[in-house]
Amino acid sequence: MRAADGSAGARRRPLLEVDARGALGLVGTLVKYLALAPLFPAVLAVAYSESPWPFLGTTAIVGAAGLALERLGGETRTSVGSREGYLVVALTWLLAGVVGGLPYLLAGQQHLDRPVDALFEGMSGFTTTGATLLVDIDTLGNAMAMWRQFTQWLGGLGIIVLALAVLPRLRVGGRQILESEMPGPEVDQLGERIRQTVQRIWLLYVGLTVAEALVLALLGWTGVDDAMTPFKAVAHALTTIPTGGFSTESRSLEAFAASTQWVVVVFMVLAGLNFALLWRAAVGRRLRVLARDEEIRLYVILLVAASAVLAVELVGKTVSGSDAPIRHGVFQAVSLMTGTGYASTDFAGWTTLALMLLVLLMFLGGSAGSTTGSVKVLRHLLLGKVLRRELRQTLHPELVIPIRLNSTPIDERTLRAVTSFVLLYIGLFALGASVIAVDSAIQGPEMTPLDVISAAAATLGNVGPATGPIGPMLSYEPFSDVSTVVMTLLMWLGRIEMIPVIVLLTRRYWRV
Amino acid sequence: MKVFVVGAGQVGSTIVEALHGDHEMVVVDQEAARLTAIAYRYDVATFEGNGASRKTLTEAGISGSDLVIACTSRDEVNLVAGAFARIEAPGATTVIRTSNTEYVELWREGRLDLDFVVCSELETANAIARVIGVSAAVQTDVFADGQVQIVEFDVEPGGGQGIVDSPLREARIPHDSKVASIIRGESMTLPGGDDVIHTGDRIVVIGSPEAARHWGEILAPWETEVTDVVVFGGGRVGMAIARALVEQRIAVRLIEPNRERARDVAEALPDVRVYNATGFDPEFLERERIGRTQAAIFAMRDDAKNHFAAALARVHGVEFTIAIVHEPIAQKVYEASHVDVTVNPRQVTAEEIVRFARDPRTHQLAMIEGDRFEVLDLTCRPDSEYVGQVFREMPIRGALIGAVVRNGKAIFPHGDDVLLAGDRVIVFTEAANVPTVERAL
Repeated sequence: MRAADGSAGARRRPLLEVDARGALGLVGTLVKYLALAPLFPAVLAVAYSESPWPFLGTTAIVGAAGLALERLGGETRTSVGSREGYLVVALTWLLAGVVGGLPYLLAGQQHLDRPVDALFEGMSGFTTTGATLLVDIDTLGNAMAMWRQFTQWLGGLGIIVLALAVLPRLRVGGRQILESEMPGPEVDQLGERIRQTVQRIWLLYVGLTVAEALVLALLGWTGVDDAMTPFKAVAHALTTIPTGGFSTESRSLEAFAASTQWVVVVFMVLAGLNFALLWRAAVGRRLRVLARDEEIRLYVILLVAASAVLAVELVGKTVSGSDAPIRHGVFQAVSLMTGTGYASTDFAGWTTLALMLLVLLMFLGGSAGSTTGSVKVLRHLLLGKVLRRELRQTLHPELVIPIRLNSTPIDERTLRAVTSFVLLYIGLFALGASVIAVDSAIQGPEMTPLDVISAAAATLGNVGPATGPIGPMLSYEPFSDVSTVVMTLLMWLGRIEMIPVIVLLTRRYWRV
Repeated sequence: MKVFVVGAGQVGSTIVEALHGDHEMVVVDQEAARLTAIAYRYDVATFEGNGASRKTLTEAGISGSDLVIACTSRDEVNLVAGAFARIEAPGATTVIRTSNTEYVELWREGRLDLDFVVCSELETANAIARVIGVSAAVQTDVFADGQVQIVEFDVEPGGGQGIVDSPLREARIPHDSKVASIIRGESMTLPGGDDVIHTGDRIVVIGSPEAARHWGEILAPWETEVTDVVVFGGGRVGMAIARALVEQRIAVRLIEPNRERARDVAEALPDVRVYNATGFDPEFLERERIGRTQAAIFAMRDDAKNHFAAALARVHGVEFTIAIVHEPIAQKVYEASHVDVTVNPRQVTAEEIVRFARDPRTHQLAMIEGDRFEVLDLTCRPDSEYVGQVFREMPIRGALIGAVVRNGKAIFPHGDDVLLAGDRVIVFTEAANVPTVERAL
């Protein structure tokens, strides 16, 4: 922003106090690199003799747009500070959704050939939600199916985090951007520098993905699971570790053998753990680090309890097979709590109690610092402690009780942030659910209250499948454009934990 | 001996008072008024200047000192003075006073090149914890980092089940403890197996802290063990007291009026319930049932506030009150208002330093019953005639080995145990026998 000339006496205030140009420039750089992503499916397309043009077209368009934005930003990028960070994060993720959807649009994919729908699917990909508008996934070509999986993998740990880890010259200012993108209230530092932390977390992420792909491929190769091809093994590894939930199969994980489902359960549980702790446990070979962590304990307790309730509820009801009630109970509990969104069976037909529990699980999420969405266990834990303190202080108003996590006192500001996050989350959820309810009453589809609730919870929490007409084997296709846009927004808000978007809506963000 | 003292405050003047008779002393302080007060009363040299300045120290004549004591109220000055003393008077023993337990820990780890570090807060806290820890104790003292405790009890009617009126050999004496002395009127004995404790005797017991507590329970079963204490004031002293009490598994509540300080204390001491309140609010005292507590300790910075709060606590029903003394006169004031125990941190610190100054080679001396008995803490020489001997066979020469500290751990020896070279031995002895014992070991 150029200052007004001094001769005018009083200096004119700049229109904006935020360096929007610098922020746009940085977004441009990030988007420019994101344009490289579709080259992976393009190569696959050539290999499978499918058309690579939707991908190459995306690369061209996104690359050009990125360069243009970068040029607009000019040399002012050094001024991108914590205030601009919110804008960068919000815009980058919005554009990521566009990048994700562009190939569907260019290919004229059935059900995804309108911008609104393509954006929904793209956003569902990068935000690792896993909600889909596709009715029949088999109509996708191999390359397009892999692109869908790949967007989730890219979005799992965060785009900016990825850029920070891979691009040495990217000058993004420190922790603040990282914290607004990484899931969870705090980022556990693993190295002296942010870049080192990020690189280690990414290494772990890649390692887990490769491990899962190998195990799944092995199951297919040894004949344990005939349905599992190497292509599908990679495709599912790419969406398990980011707790995404897209599948190459219309029937999700039901298409695979029980052993495959158990393997996927293990990796979903791992993906829901705090990656920084997981790194320490893996490198230091000390599993005790994990066992001693209060959040991880609660995470495991919740998983076990939910699985047990579901298994008991399922016994002798809708499923057959000896281990089926336990397997389906555990699988669905893990899948929905971590926000993955795979299904080992069509749970839409389960009892009300089971469905209620599944919807409740959508509000939990995994550990902070994992790839999961939703509120996250850490926030529930801290909120529980805050409530317990409030109760004690009603009786003893003068009592000073610092809240501790793993015996370290937690700052009161962090606690306030946690409380307001949860309130904001509930508020947004209620708002989203209301809009969906009104829209479905006017334009269809017909939904029960639980279905509406689950639709809002599954999109805001980046879970994916919901109940009723949008159950795990069905699609979000019946919704009108209004609901589709609302749910796209919910996914976007949920992934970047709302605050970066919501502060943009305040006047004080833009002015002094 | 030439003693060099940095700091002429309460601690410094108490030290001067205790040592000026036998030693040649120099006192350094920045405030002329304090020095004048000391110079008028005692025959010591004084020097006005900054104790943290090497120039001051050399000009005041630190070189050639045998003992350097840095006891100003500022840790940094004391540390620097201690460091300069090492340079200017390499042969001198150095003692510093600190209010930070961190320095004490560093010194214990051997990271500070000083001969002795005394922490007022820690000494005060330990003194209070000892009083609270053993019911019915007349006087008590600890050795070997708190692993060995010596307690004096009065044997009152109704107490002492299983011990009183039977020969010691048959008495049910708590494990890890010994009766060191029986005092009956003017006569005092180092008892053997045939001696008998009678009601009305005063006895001295040496043993582990648990055993000491057990003795208290046996001798005064009507006095319930203190399990609930309220500390007023969360300053450094209050915090140290709270920490020491929590270590004895006593439930501690602490009242601190300053909001941030209260938070700091609560963060540092998870097991202490901290209230952000003043101790003068009757409504608060009533709501939290402060009056029901077994003991209240007043550790605020201001004697007058402690005094008022103690009186108010009494009004609310607290029966046992302990107050910290800042100005020496406050002690008399507290006593006049029936505060049960008073502790002066500066006094305690000075005493600790004086103890050390009297004889740095024997670790520590305690005087029981005036000066008729002494407790020695000696390290056993390799050429001592007792090395390798079984305790049962050691001739008694008016002394009793109460405990042995081997590799930092206290052992309470039985008849079959053997004394080794390098053992630290806690000996209870008649004052007249001290030189004999020192020679023998």
